[in-house]
Amino acid sequence: MDLWDYLELAAWAASALFGLFIVIDWIRTDSTYDEEFLTSSREGELEALTEEQHRG
Amino acid sequence: MTRYQAPVQGKVGQVIDVIVLLIMAIGALYIPLWMGMAGSSKVPQPVTDPTWESLGQNAVMVEQWQKLGFADAASASEMITARFDYSFSIGALVAMIVVIVGYYAILLRFSEKEYREVIAEKFGE
Amino acid sequence: MAKAEKIEHVGLARVLGPAHVWALGVGIVLVGEYMGWNFAVGKGGAYAALMACWFAGILYTCVAMIDSEVTSTVAAAGGQYTQAKHIVGPLMAFNVGLYLVFAYTMLEAANAITVGFLVDTVATMSGHQGGVDQRPFIILSIMFLAWLNYRGVLATLTFNLVITAIAFTAVVVLFLTTAGIFGAGPLRHADLLSGQAALPYGWLGVLASMHFGLWFYLGIEGTTQAAEEVRSPARALPFGTLAGVMTLAIAATLTWYVCAGLMPWEYLGQSGVPLFDAARLSGSYGLMVFLGIGTLFATLASANGCINDASRAWFAMGRDRYLPGWFGAVHPKYRTPYRSIIFLVPIALIFALGAPLDQVVTFSILSGLLEYTFMPLNIILFRRKWPLDTIKRGYEHPFHPLPAMVLLGLCGLAFFAVFLGYGTQLVAMIAFYIVVSLWFHFWRYRFVNRGAQFTMPWPKPRGY
Repeated sequence: MDLWDYLELAAWAASALFGLFIVIDWIRTDSTYDEEFLTSSREGELEALTEEQHRG
Repeated sequence: MTRYQAPVQGKVGQVIDVIVLLIMAIGALYIPLWMGMAGSSKVPQPVTDPTWESLGQNAVMVEQWQKLGFADAASASEMITARFDYSFSIGALVAMIVVIVGYYAILLRFSEKEYREVIAEKFGE
Repeated sequence: MAKAEKIEHVGLARVLGPAHVWALGVGIVLVGEYMGWNFAVGKGGAYAALMACWFAGILYTCVAMIDSEVTSTVAAAGGQYTQAKHIVGPLMAFNVGLYLVFAYTMLEAANAITVGFLVDTVATMSGHQGGVDQRPFIILSIMFLAWLNYRGVLATLTFNLVITAIAFTAVVVLFLTTAGIFGAGPLRHADLLSGQAALPYGWLGVLASMHFGLWFYLGIEGTTQAAEEVRSPARALPFGTLAGVMTLAIAATLTWYVCAGLMPWEYLGQSGVPLFDAARLSGSYGLMVFLGIGTLFATLASANGCINDASRAWFAMGRDRYLPGWFGAVHPKYRTPYRSIIFLVPIALIFALGAPLDQVVTFSILSGLLEYTFMPLNIILFRRKWPLDTIKRGYEHPFHPLPAMVLLGLCGLAFFAVFLGYGTQLVAMIAFYIVVSLWFHFWRYRFVNRGAQFTMPWPKPRGY
């Protein structure tokens, strides 16, 4: 075992860690919020909002 | 005119659609590879007893080869003599042109049909 | 945005400035100077690669001009996909969206492969026996960047800005130290490019190198994906994109100059990390380390931008139900299209771990090429349906329709170049798009609302 073998192991471990974070947060987000709310983004809505603010 | 009401797709349908799309995509990319038709590897032309001179390398080139770790001509000869084969048949070229032009023609035709519907509904009477 | 949340709405966050746009565009592409472009040298020799570089430069100038005009009016995530939807029609939009996702995901895979290769090279040079397992490093680079993208766009692109600037500086420093401005340099163009090495395949080789010539710039058009997250898209997008093309033309020419002056073309044409090799040959240890870091940063910046762009395109299609609506979700806290980001991770891994680099690069280039062929059609229809006096454009490109015609011509040349080496893949790829188009037209499109997908506040197009 030299430095590179340890680096390989570290890379596997770090990959798993990042993957784990993403999956845990994904599951938590999906179960906390309503599906309607999560997919409420609409194309062009930001323009509409800004225009509203300018007018108002 | 009546507005088109899109049906809401269920979970299972969504998953199936993604799988279908993935199979098509991965198939298109991997089938040429599996069939060994993903051409374009270079063809080496073996030379017996290569020397730097017979490979057409001048003094500066030889110096750079050595710096790159190729100590003698034999080790570099395969890399130097390998060439791509650019020969092609007119038939294949015509087929390619037909496929590409045909593809864009289909695309524009169907798009136009769908687009008229969109505009009619959006700016419709 | 507080208001947006009150009305139970979540969208992408508008936080980016012009520098981020530049970093997104150049960051994706700069890796092309560190690896991949040199396959053009293998295809036709060093001079052929230089000519291909300049022709590709013209092609991309047209792309940037056309794209800037359209995108300064169509500012939405999805970029060219959204343009196609408003200007050409839904089926074209679906195809363009897929071009984007494939071009970027394949490029991301190519970057990850290069990271693995670089780690292996460094390990071997440091005296490690038996080579390293490249897979954990390939996976780590994709996982780390996916995580970064998941956590928010501002940090992602600020990270990109820093590493892209370092990678670009490395190219410039390599040029300055080797070009012989400060005394005799190590470059030997006259000798390395003499005799058979000048144009080893003749003029056909020049055409053939157009294929990988695109690699010098591929991905710069991805700047438009940020449209929904830029603070002032009409100004920042044209500025960032055009500045990006100029940066790349400079970097590409410098790269060619240094590499062609150091390596015999037969070696250069198949090198995995040409700039790193050039630094090794320069004889300076410091330069070698710097360019090694530059290579790593360039690949990471590119993969990072690719994840960003591919997920925006996938997200935009999901939001319109062109793809299952599940993908149209935005993370309430991080404000990113998180499900699209997650979904594309395994896809990138399949190709990074399973396919050879030049094939992956070719898939990416082909998808890009199909997209560039769409652009002239797009701008011609745009000007016809909405002449200049009907909508105000943030940027109007000059000499219309000349750039469109030039672009179409150059795309034709590039198709021929791809055909010379990778005819089978070309046909397989287009067969895929034809099948998928039929699937969309006859099945998938039923889930899309018709009028509602046209979201731009434009007047009715001429002729409808």
